[in-house]
Amino acid sequence: MPSLRFALLLVGLLASAAFAAPAPAYDFFLCANLNRNYTIGSKVVANNGVYQRDASGTWQHVGYNDGTITSVAFDPRDRNVMYTSALNGLWRTLDGGHHWRICNDWSMTEARDVALDRNAPDHVYLALPDGIGVSTDRGQTLVRREDGLPARGKYTQVLHIDRTRAGRVFAGCETGIYLTENGAQRWRRVLPTTDTVYDIQQSPHDPRLWLAATHSAGLQRSTDGGNTWEKVASAPSTNPLYNVTFDVTQPQRLAVGSWSLGVLTSEDGGRTWTDRNAGLPAPHHVWRVGIDPAGRLYASVAGQTLFVSADFGRTWQPDTIAAAQVNKFLLVPRNAP
Amino acid sequence: MPRAFLSAVLVTVAALTAAAQPSFEGAAPAAAPIEDASQRRDDYFRRVDEVIDWAAAGGNAKTDDPANLNLAMIAARIVRGQDLPGCSQRVIGMMREPGTGPFWMFPSVCIAYLGRDRLSPEALASIRTAWRTTRQLRGDTENHFVMYYISLFLMAELYPDEPAETWYSGKSSAENLAEARSYILNWIDVTATVGQGEFNTTHYIGEYVIPIQFLANWSKDPAMRQRGRMMLDWLFAELAATTLNGVMRGPNSRTDEGSVIERWNAMASYFSWLLFGNTPPTAGYSGWGLYFAPLAKNYEVPEVIYRIATDRSGDFVQRDRARTRPFWRYSDETSPPVHKTNYLRKDYALGSTRGGRIDPLQSHVWDVTWAEADPRGKHNTLFSLHPHSASEIMQASFVFYPEPMIKGVTFEGKPSYDSPDKVLGSSPYEQVFQDLDTVISLYDIPAGTRFPHINGFFSKDLVDFTEDSSGWIFARGGNAYLAYRPLAPYHWIPYLHYTSGWAKARLDLGGRILTSPHLKNGTIVQAASASEFESFVAFQAAIKALTLSFKLEPAPTVSMTTLRGKKVAFSYGQTPQVDGRAIDYSKWKLFQGPYLNAEIGGRKLSITHGQLERVLDFNTLTVTDRVRETTPVP
Repeated sequence: MPSLRFALLLVGLLASAAFAAPAPAYDFFLCANLNRNYTIGSKVVANNGVYQRDASGTWQHVGYNDGTITSVAFDPRDRNVMYTSALNGLWRTLDGGHHWRICNDWSMTEARDVALDRNAPDHVYLALPDGIGVSTDRGQTLVRREDGLPARGKYTQVLHIDRTRAGRVFAGCETGIYLTENGAQRWRRVLPTTDTVYDIQQSPHDPRLWLAATHSAGLQRSTDGGNTWEKVASAPSTNPLYNVTFDVTQPQRLAVGSWSLGVLTSEDGGRTWTDRNAGLPAPHHVWRVGIDPAGRLYASVAGQTLFVSADFGRTWQPDTIAAAQVNKFLLVPRNAP
Repeated sequence: MPRAFLSAVLVTVAALTAAAQPSFEGAAPAAAPIEDASQRRDDYFRRVDEVIDWAAAGGNAKTDDPANLNLAMIAARIVRGQDLPGCSQRVIGMMREPGTGPFWMFPSVCIAYLGRDRLSPEALASIRTAWRTTRQLRGDTENHFVMYYISLFLMAELYPDEPAETWYSGKSSAENLAEARSYILNWIDVTATVGQGEFNTTHYIGEYVIPIQFLANWSKDPAMRQRGRMMLDWLFAELAATTLNGVMRGPNSRTDEGSVIERWNAMASYFSWLLFGNTPPTAGYSGWGLYFAPLAKNYEVPEVIYRIATDRSGDFVQRDRARTRPFWRYSDETSPPVHKTNYLRKDYALGSTRGGRIDPLQSHVWDVTWAEADPRGKHNTLFSLHPHSASEIMQASFVFYPEPMIKGVTFEGKPSYDSPDKVLGSSPYEQVFQDLDTVISLYDIPAGTRFPHINGFFSKDLVDFTEDSSGWIFARGGNAYLAYRPLAPYHWIPYLHYTSGWAKARLDLGGRILTSPHLKNGTIVQAASASEFESFVAFQAAIKALTLSFKLEPAPTVSMTTLRGKKVAFSYGQTPQVDGRAIDYSKWKLFQGPYLNAEIGGRKLSITHGQLERVLDFNTLTVTDRVRETTPVP
């Protein structure tokens, strides 16, 4: 009996420990097109769009079916308020996805990214092929705020909002990185480039540290909150880099996705980089990489599917979702700022 | 054979074999105009009926089982009042899996309106439900937007005063209506002031005129109906003025691998056949063309447009403007102007833009196309191009990442984009000048450019082909004599044909590609009618006697006296000159020629032929017809 009592006690302790364990700080989402070779007019044969990875490792579809969704953003006050950027522009739901509204009119199209200011959560920013749209009323109305952007060269691929200050937004454009510090009332260029900036990320460990992936200017880093940028000399710049990501579990771990270079990782804060394509199907053309809250590395491989690595790229396994193309990986803090 | 008798025979055949396509399968129609207005109307109605009969009988489905019908066939059955309960059931079934995007939206609008008092309430409700539950993609091209917004406008009119939650867009009927109306007005305004970005399309013409026809017939707003009717005239007037016996030729903002070679094989031919009766229709009436038929009898092409389409007794030049597809990035302008020159004669036509970037994938810059009594299966065209293929250029127009683009578009209806022997597309390294039936095309391709050569298309249907020691290549196409002068050494490779942009395989139907692997390069083409010379030899002698000098360094340059006696000088990167005067493209109008005239920014198109004139004035929403006492002297 003592042994049984001990066993029950152990089970009880383990169970209570499990219940008492801190919840993960983030939820993990992706935006994906699962419908291979879709063109306008052809049949939609898969459930595309936003997926959330649940505790069991299963991807749960969220929202509506649209293979053109490029990004998703949530209102930190209410997870039922959700925005997506997509071919039609900006979509919004206020009720957890039961009803959706296209927020823009015909003058805005082919949205590339959406970002929500967690410090001013009614403010939503939309990246457009011809500039930037801003809403200050939860997407009910959208206006262009492009003062300071060039008349030409304002193709905007990515937006990232400084989590430490309201209205401080970075835009990755055709001609460089532009920064506003007053909610897009005025933009200024903080990094000139000759080709499109594809991704901008802020470190979850140090809000002053930023990285940007570019078409022809390699990987760029800022250590002063994005005011100045310098090229990461150790990272390749021979080919376009599509995205860059931090690992919330380990400050020194970074990953880059590239069509031509595949997956590159660094485990020393970007001083050295390692090719982590072994185990991925050749020719390892990578749309995007992501790292989930547990530190697992993901790679969306073109023409294949999503792959996941539990050892930061040393080995890979196919993931459960048959995504043809992941447009975005997103970590969403569970708690409001 | 008398035309009336022929018509009667065709009607009989159509009646006996409802599933046949008599005009597609039968003899080619005569290209000459029909003088008798009632006969023209009868013939037009007969053609409309032929389309509806074919579609109602099952079309390509080759069965009358409603379960196999698509929405176009159901539309035809509604018009015929045929098996309406079966149609209702089929609609309900199809609406369980509605499509997404403008290619589904306008067919569903067609059924929703045609079926208003014909289909069951359940069938109509199923369409309405689909418009609530299925997110509709707006697309990313001009034709997508036109289809999308006209469809949305009409559905919002059909179901007014309904709340936001009953629409996929999350906007109320009033909001949808206002947004759609705003886009439609803007598109018309842009088209009537600076031209279309998708101009002279071989296929997409249907994707404009079909929804516009719906608007012209079904809108509750008389102003929108009027705009619809006027835009039909506008687009069909352009079709009339740019076709040779009903066949669309270059230049084209958007075409595909099949119809850039077999010029007839395009939806534009379907509309020429339907409206003008001067060429055979395409197989299956081009599919989408079926949606024009149910309302076609409500639109009769004005005689002035009919005359322009069918009169090739006199030579004429149209110099018009359009614009490029929007360039989101890597361009100083969003949609730079395109200058088009078209010279049409009885036996052939030449058309061109000035080259450069237009649409990175599907534009066709210039050609000489000759008339064929029966154009079906004929590759009746000659041209050259730089087969440009680069993700950097595509990035200007598309929002995708760079490297996947080239392979990606080959799966999206542009299969040749990754092929060095392709014969479709524009290049930033091509500059073109045309004066009447002389075309000079110059190339200055930077070292390191993908596909660093030019391709010249030489058809299987050319005869009397001669590579002359003078450097000229001579051939005859139909009744056109053709002279082609490559400016750099070349060799020949086989031409392999794509039947369409969606072709999976290439066919060896004959024909060759002149490929010239030299970065600085050029082509001169000179055409003439066989009737202008005593013999083909005499034509060749005349060409060889032309004053011609050219050089390729430092920039390709041509100076010559054309067959028409014009002294032309054209150097890559320079403005071309004719008889010592530089061409001032800044003064080109939206339309300028004997048939179509419009000012940039004018919103007014004057369509004239002989004594006939129709003016479409979008400033006042008026259509004014005038018959002049005498034919004005050009």
